[in-house]
Amino acid sequence: MANVSVGRPDNTPTWIISGMLLILGVLVSSGALTGLLTTFKVHKAMDLMQTMCFVGGGLGLVTALLRQGRMNKPMGKLDIFVLETIPGILFILALAMGIRWFAEPMVKIMSDSLVPVLGFKIYKVLNLNYVVLGILVGIIITNSWGIPKFAASGVKTARFVLKMGVILLGARYSFAELAKLGMVSVWLIGFFVLGTVFFVLFLGKVFKQPKSMTGVLSAGMGVCGVSATVACAPVVKAKSSEMAYTIGTILGFGILCMFAFPTIGKLAGMNATQFGAWAGTGILNSAQVAAACLAFNAVDIKTLKVGEIFNITRVLFLPVIVLVLATWFGKQSGQKLSFKEVVIDKFPVFILGFLLLFFMSSMGLFSPPGHYKGKYLDFSYNQRTEVTPEELTILQKAQSDGIPGLKAEEQSAFDDLVKQHQIAGNFDDREDKTKFDETARERMRGLESMLARAKGGDLTLSKDVKSAVKHATKQVKKKSKTVVTLTDCMIWFFAYGLIGLGMQITRKSLAQAGGWPLVMGGISGVAKATLSFIIVMYFVKDVVLH
Amino acid sequence: MGQPDIKIAAEQQKPDQNANEERALSVFASEKSEDLTALVMVMIVTFMVLLFTKWLA
Repeated sequence: MANVSVGRPDNTPTWIISGMLLILGVLVSSGALTGLLTTFKVHKAMDLMQTMCFVGGGLGLVTALLRQGRMNKPMGKLDIFVLETIPGILFILALAMGIRWFAEPMVKIMSDSLVPVLGFKIYKVLNLNYVVLGILVGIIITNSWGIPKFAASGVKTARFVLKMGVILLGARYSFAELAKLGMVSVWLIGFFVLGTVFFVLFLGKVFKQPKSMTGVLSAGMGVCGVSATVACAPVVKAKSSEMAYTIGTILGFGILCMFAFPTIGKLAGMNATQFGAWAGTGILNSAQVAAACLAFNAVDIKTLKVGEIFNITRVLFLPVIVLVLATWFGKQSGQKLSFKEVVIDKFPVFILGFLLLFFMSSMGLFSPPGHYKGKYLDFSYNQRTEVTPEELTILQKAQSDGIPGLKAEEQSAFDDLVKQHQIAGNFDDREDKTKFDETARERMRGLESMLARAKGGDLTLSKDVKSAVKHATKQVKKKSKTVVTLTDCMIWFFAYGLIGLGMQITRKSLAQAGGWPLVMGGISGVAKATLSFIIVMYFVKDVVLH
Repeated sequence: MGQPDIKIAAEQQKPDQNANEERALSVFASEKSEDLTALVMVMIVTFMVLLFTKWLA
């Protein structure tokens, strides 16, 4: 690793990066790139693009000027911590901007155009989003040209920024989400999450693997893929290469499952709920869970819903897993520690931050407490939640003509939509919010089920009716601006941190970690899939979803 | 007698050395200060976001 304290690296790259950022800022604000950005579907971020370009570029220019003036002087604290770090920060920031706004959309467009050939979206299957692309870019840079000398100091900020992202991750979830699940689901998920974690830790001991690698792999395989891996890596002091291997193992195993699960589920004669529960437990990546559920059953919305709920609930176990791993790692470090010592002395402070934001989010500071990733349903009476008068006429006509093939709950949801002009609970129950919301949710499910069956060819709906019902369901889905903005910040911190971590993954470090994460991940993944298959087949007949 | 001792000592140092290499990849003096700074920065970010998207919006 290049050591920056030996002399000052050249100033030219800082000038170049600042210049490039400023030129991009000017191009975006002049509107010259609007066409391209619209094609890439990132035109909504144009304001942010300008701000980041001008702030980054300006900061770069000031830094370059200051460095130029101090070139032959001895380095002080200002130089080491600020002036020498900024060029590297700008370098990673520029890469992160390139990935978020240009590389990721380009991969999406390319994978969309490959759908007729492959039959699926490759970016979804391989999870080629900014996380994976960021790590890949980092790995490519460090293994081809090496980390540029001027950026070496900035790369050292990667883990710090990543931790900021992990803390912000807490804002996306809330405790109310957990309460929505039936107790059966919570026990089932909890059992598998903890079971997998301990099983991987056990495998690590059997195969005599380093505890940092075993720890990070257990979190990744047990909880929920990439975000858990990123969150737990600093807890067990995992190396960047071990983290990359873990992410690779999870995604690779998920791809196999995505194709195998629907076939096995159909052969075993699973019902919609059983398959959802199995896929949600056995497959780690949420996009892959959704793909498997849709491949199994595109008509019954329950499959996807159950699968998604099982999948996302695992993330809510993340704080528990962190606690377990921190305790385990503290104990493994040699000293005999009491639980108190582990929690107070060894417990990573940034995870307390994660818990703090999770708590704040559960209290409803960012969004109504029942939200998930900032999304929530608002059934309160509001003109903006209603369907348009034209849509209402269409729905009334469809009601009087009758829609053949509707199930009882779909029919009653549809009738109530026509009656109340929006999805809501019973008017008489409006004082009792819980009861009101519960009825509304039931109606929402009825309408969603209509749409899913129409999509799958199980039900015939006219185009206008479909669009009106779709609009009604869309109207009650709200998104908290606060959580959306916090998530945006988190994504930037992650993108930045992961590029920096990718830069620390050399071929040598990958060779050192060997293929063990793949072996251990494979064994634990197959064990979990088999066991959850048996349990789901015998014990889960119908999950209670409130 | 001296040589094996040195060898053992060197082997014992290896994990420490690896840890130190990873540790060196941070601008902060200690793990705790890194974590605390991250926490403080996130609190500032959260406050600003709440201010502009909730309280002032």
